[in-house]
Amino acid sequence: MRSSLFFERYTLRMSTIWQSFQLMIVRGLPNTILLTLGLVVIGLVLGTLIAFAQVYGSRPLRWLCKIYEQVFRGIPILVLILIFHSGLARSFHILLPAFVSALIALALRSGAYQSQIFRGAIQSVPQGQMMAARALGMGKIKAIRYIILPQAFRLSLPPWANEFSSVLKDTSIASAISVLELTKQATLSYTRLSVVPGFGAKWTLVILLVLALIYLVLTYAGNAGLRFLEKRLRIPGFELKGKIER
Amino acid sequence: MNEYQSTSPGDIILKVEDLHKTYGDNHVLRGVSMQMKRGETKVVIGPSGTGKSTLLRCINQLSVPDSGRVWLGDKEITCPKENINCIRAEIGFVFQSFNLFTHLNALSNVRIGPMKVKRMKKDAATKLAMEELERVGLADKAEAYPAELSGGQQQRVSIARALAMFPQLMLFDEPTSALDPELIGEVLEVMVSLAKEGMTMLVVSHEMGFARSVSDEIIFMEGGNILEQGPPNEFFTAPKEERTREFLSKITELYGE
Amino acid sequence: MKRAILAIFVIGLFAVSGFAQTYTVASDTTWPPFEWADTEGNLLGFDLDVMRCIAVLQGFEIDIVSYDWDIIFDDVGIGRVDIGASGATITDERELKVDFSDPYWTSDQAVLIRVDSGLNIVTALSGGAVVGAQVETTGAGFVQGLIDEGIDVVLQEYSLYPLSVIDLINGNVDAVIQDEPASQASATAEDELTICGVIKTNENFGFFVAEGDPNGLLALLNDGVAQLKDLGVYDNLVRAYMGTDITKVEAAWKASIGLLNAGNVVDFAESMADLSN
Repeated sequence: MRSSLFFERYTLRMSTIWQSFQLMIVRGLPNTILLTLGLVVIGLVLGTLIAFAQVYGSRPLRWLCKIYEQVFRGIPILVLILIFHSGLARSFHILLPAFVSALIALALRSGAYQSQIFRGAIQSVPQGQMMAARALGMGKIKAIRYIILPQAFRLSLPPWANEFSSVLKDTSIASAISVLELTKQATLSYTRLSVVPGFGAKWTLVILLVLALIYLVLTYAGNAGLRFLEKRLRIPGFELKGKIER
Repeated sequence: MNEYQSTSPGDIILKVEDLHKTYGDNHVLRGVSMQMKRGETKVVIGPSGTGKSTLLRCINQLSVPDSGRVWLGDKEITCPKENINCIRAEIGFVFQSFNLFTHLNALSNVRIGPMKVKRMKKDAATKLAMEELERVGLADKAEAYPAELSGGQQQRVSIARALAMFPQLMLFDEPTSALDPELIGEVLEVMVSLAKEGMTMLVVSHEMGFARSVSDEIIFMEGGNILEQGPPNEFFTAPKEERTREFLSKITELYGE
Repeated sequence: MKRAILAIFVIGLFAVSGFAQTYTVASDTTWPPFEWADTEGNLLGFDLDVMRCIAVLQGFEIDIVSYDWDIIFDDVGIGRVDIGASGATITDERELKVDFSDPYWTSDQAVLIRVDSGLNIVTALSGGAVVGAQVETTGAGFVQGLIDEGIDVVLQEYSLYPLSVIDLINGNVDAVIQDEPASQASATAEDELTICGVIKTNENFGFFVAEGDPNGLLALLNDGVAQLKDLGVYDNLVRAYMGTDITKVEAAWKASIGLLNAGNVVDFAESMADLSN
């Protein structure tokens, strides 16, 4: 008698966990992934442009980039998201969908961090490379494109992996403006479970644990992918500065 | 941009007139003038910091001189209207630290110039690159990356890289100074054969043996000026200036002979 | 020519009337029994079903969206969403951002304690007791009021209600203060907890719309609530949602929603009440 009751309870609990997990994956994961990829790509474009502007650009241009960097690294993420979501709405009647507000805010921020990474990478490429390229008769742009960029890109990979892990977790902040991503979905699950007889508030922790595991797996997968990329691009004999962190 | 200009031997390929260059407080070049005819090989010697490298860099404008003029053939390099990239494509530069493109293998290093600067098609450029690598004796290392090559091999590849552009003039900035002694020979060998083939070469070096055997003229620089210049046999046996004699005696101490 | 114009005009009229007006309703669906999401993603709750019933009666459509409590007043206030239905107590502060309907629910605060703690309503709120509450709720405000009056009680705030309940069970806090229905739901779900008392705060919940009520919705909402009360629908929904087992309510909803979709408000409410109890 006792064991069958235990078994019943056990299966009920397992299936509930499984159900919540499924909900998180089906409802929450798409937005999390979309946000992450979207912001990373936009941030990449922004970051690369700004990095080059800072290394090769004119004084006023460099100054502008510096301001951009300071601003978007200095403001807390939630504040930034709220500025685009609520601030624009209140002050200028520009109503952006929540997903878009989050995407823009996070992309601008990531761009600032990524520009730092790329700038460091570009500056790590030895000066002699540019000199040799120009001595051959390459213009600045050609030299950047064929000589500096490929090397800077490889040098960027390890720190860039860190940025990727970081922004993946940052997307959960978008839940504050009701973007239905992983964290928000988890919240819906555990607030409900808290009042289901047989479960209760303690289940909040179970759900949050599942959520944490999902983020862990995503981060690990992302890093593994980048490590693979690093291996493929490795130049024989040329050691990259530092390995990609887990 | 022109291909290798076929002017007759004896033409003045390089003319440098009253170059000045200051780095901060340091007046490195104080009015240097010289010229080179086609096919000549000249070696610049002198104590460190006297502007020898600076002279080379001012010729192809890797450093921009403060004043003075430079001509390549009949084109004035220092004139702002001239396209500096076109000029540089006709001057080969070999660096002390090789500066091979680390992300490209030897073959790609040599052919990227012709491909991207002279817009050669890949097949033609590859063929050309292999020929140049052959010329410096490294055809078998075409697939190797710079990090896999010894210093001497890297420098030879960098010479091939410069040669692939069919330059009118080659500048060598202390090409063997960063090499282990046993690797110097293979590079000098290449340079000697180049000189014999009639390439116009301006070499900054400490290698007196090379200077003696192959150069048409030695140029001694000190304190930002050309102190003395002359054909090697005169220069080494009967230097005119006091400072030249001092310098030469020190060198003989170091290198023996 | 004239006939053509007339025909177009008539067709146009039909076309326009064929499309019922749709309003978006924002709700922080993390607060059973007023609003929550079930495992299939359906959004249920007392507030939401009241809204749905009103919509049927008044002839408009609604689109319910899950919203975050933090920005719900801001966004409704500027009209990004049309209506807010989220167990919101009418306060002066909130009146600055939004316009409220007439009260549709009167709530009190209940105090949850551990069954074995031996506390009562007085001891749970004094003598150095640590009381948990969700940030920016009227419950938190109540405790803060006690503190301001010099009563020896400590307020521990949480971003989400379930976290406070966890701490109560663990013994990190002595009591949790929350609106009565939510407290009841917790007491039902947790064996170790019980309600030691109710504080009559007479808070009123209201639906809210953008400042100035640009769509003229408040009249419709107020009238709608009145009708629901007259029809007995209101009481049935109360019976369905307050103090019942959440899984039963969810099952009841799934079984009954067809009736509402067909336009039958009264039967829907009856069915909900019957099946939930």
